[in-house]
Amino acid sequence: MKPRSLRVRLLLSATAAIFVALAFAWFVMTKLFERHIERRVHADLAREGMQLAANLSIGPRGEPRLSREPGDVRFSEPASGMYWQVTTSAGDLRSRSLWDQSLAATQLPRKPEWNTRFPQGPFEEQLLLIEREVKPDRDGPEVLIQVATENKSLQEARREFGAELAMFLVLLWAILSGAAWTQVALGLKPLARIREQVNDLKRSSRERVSDAPAREIEPLVRAINELADAREVDLARARRRAANLAHALKTPLAAIAAQGRRVREAGATDAADGLDRSIAAASAAVDRELARSRAAEIRAAATEVSAAVLPAAESVVGVVERAEFVAKLVFEVEVPPDLFVPVAAEDLLELMGALVENAARYARRRVLIFGDRTAEGRTMSVEDDGPGIEPTQMSAVFERGARLDESGGGHGLGLAIAKDLAEATGAEICLARSKLGGLKVAVLWRN
Amino acid sequence: MRALIIEDEAAVADDLVRALQAAGFVVDLARDGDNAWFRGSTEDYDVAILDLGLPRLDGLSVLRRWRADNRAFPVIIVSARNDWTEKVAGIEAGADDYLGKPFEIAELVARVRGLVRRAGGRASSSIRMGSLVLDTHRMSATYAGRPVRLSQLEFRFLHYVAHQGGRAVSAGELAEHLYGAEEAGDTNAIEALVVRLRRKLAPQVIETRRGFGYCIAGDSP
Repeated sequence: MKPRSLRVRLLLSATAAIFVALAFAWFVMTKLFERHIERRVHADLAREGMQLAANLSIGPRGEPRLSREPGDVRFSEPASGMYWQVTTSAGDLRSRSLWDQSLAATQLPRKPEWNTRFPQGPFEEQLLLIEREVKPDRDGPEVLIQVATENKSLQEARREFGAELAMFLVLLWAILSGAAWTQVALGLKPLARIREQVNDLKRSSRERVSDAPAREIEPLVRAINELADAREVDLARARRRAANLAHALKTPLAAIAAQGRRVREAGATDAADGLDRSIAAASAAVDRELARSRAAEIRAAATEVSAAVLPAAESVVGVVERAEFVAKLVFEVEVPPDLFVPVAAEDLLELMGALVENAARYARRRVLIFGDRTAEGRTMSVEDDGPGIEPTQMSAVFERGARLDESGGGHGLGLAIAKDLAEATGAEICLARSKLGGLKVAVLWRN
Repeated sequence: MRALIIEDEAAVADDLVRALQAAGFVVDLARDGDNAWFRGSTEDYDVAILDLGLPRLDGLSVLRRWRADNRAFPVIIVSARNDWTEKVAGIEAGADDYLGKPFEIAELVARVRGLVRRAGGRASSSIRMGSLVLDTHRMSATYAGRPVRLSQLEFRFLHYVAHQGGRAVSAGELAEHLYGAEEAGDTNAIEALVVRLRRKLAPQVIETRRGFGYCIAGDSP
């Protein structure tokens, strides 16, 4: 089975290929070494052979004679491993080292050059033997000259060389595999970087993969970015459609509400109540959806934005003050004129509006809008002197907004909308007890 | 009482007409912006209910033209475009209230009644106190020539203090006037209101006379 990891796959194939190449190299190198040594030994033996031929003469009965024996001491030491023998049909001469043994006569066709064999020699030895027939006298008999050396030390040298070479090649194999690993890691590194950027892309639709770190990856990066562009366009379109749909639903809802009142006037109170409840639920869902799509738009907006808190607060208060139900409320605005927060002006209006309207709905006399710059960041809070929310209930309030789609309008919706908006702008929103006695909703943009 | 309803959606328009007729209004209906502007410019109404998304001329433009022509009747905007940017634009164009669709008809009628009561209860006149001028018809003020929008509570505060002929009014008395007799002891809100008004107008407009209360300064800033 193919391994799933590209790294493992590349690495396995690299180490296998290196192994095969090195094994082949070992085989060829030991062969070359062997041939080289054999050639050297062969040359040495041939030189000894030529010495024998040079000193060779034929006796009167056709027996071989040597005017001088080869000088190498090993020829005179019994079973030393170096041997020579000259043979004619009338007799032979042997080195002392052969003692009472002799070298077997050749079976090979006789040629005027040194012939090499590896016969079993005397003293249980494997021999490297060269032999040749010469004619010392034109009309004399042929003489077979044989010079041999035991082959064991040669084989040992070969084995030692092979073992040492193998050790070296294994080390080389390890080093090359390490290099292959590094290479694979280096090769895959740009992919890892792209993976990180794609993760960012998952979080925000406006992120893009930055320039490709290698030319080979450029097409991939381009394809990813094109995909991201397409996704952003689709998202924007879907968001716009959701917002348009939500807006488009409002007038028909008002029309249905009108019909509901006709129904009520006609006496079908239960049916009218049911209609009203459904309309309220649908309106809450529409408002929530609009706020969600606005929050999504804020998240998708690419540009750095900033808006002053004070004018937003005053504008919102200017609107809320119009309503009949706030006729007895004082709106206190304590915001420094130079307090800016990283939110687009219209989004700040939405956030402020949701908070102030919610506070006004529950306040008895006073609504305080407060803004400040602290060590932590920029903060903005809206508090009221209404009944407030029990500390144990506070965490549930934001979620209550989510369920309002079914239960129909009320307290949590404004807070849920404010939470969506605030968090979309990167702020934290939290609830606390106000010093005025009611609820305090604080929004913090950390530095 | 005459009301002008500007609404192009037939079912909603019908409903508004019936509800306001039931509330005692004589109702005219305009179904597009041109018609609305013409009627509002040529006839006198006590209140107008204005939709923003209208054929031919959008509601906000109608409102701006009326206000530019000094047509001062109260206008309540009723719109499906319910975001705060729209609401602020509506109020700044001269609307007196803003209600998002879909709405409770009872709430609309209550708000319309409130607008009519506030605007119609007084003769269109102004009270001058030094640099401060209160317009009792529009419930607004100008200070040193600069127009200032006031909330109902702020207006009622200034209106009450202005009518005391220079007498200092205590916080308790103001609380009793503004909130009712049973809550006269609650003076924190009055102090907050004074702070807010001083910031809106000018710090020296409302004087604090220790031990007595508040009065409006008569001198120029």
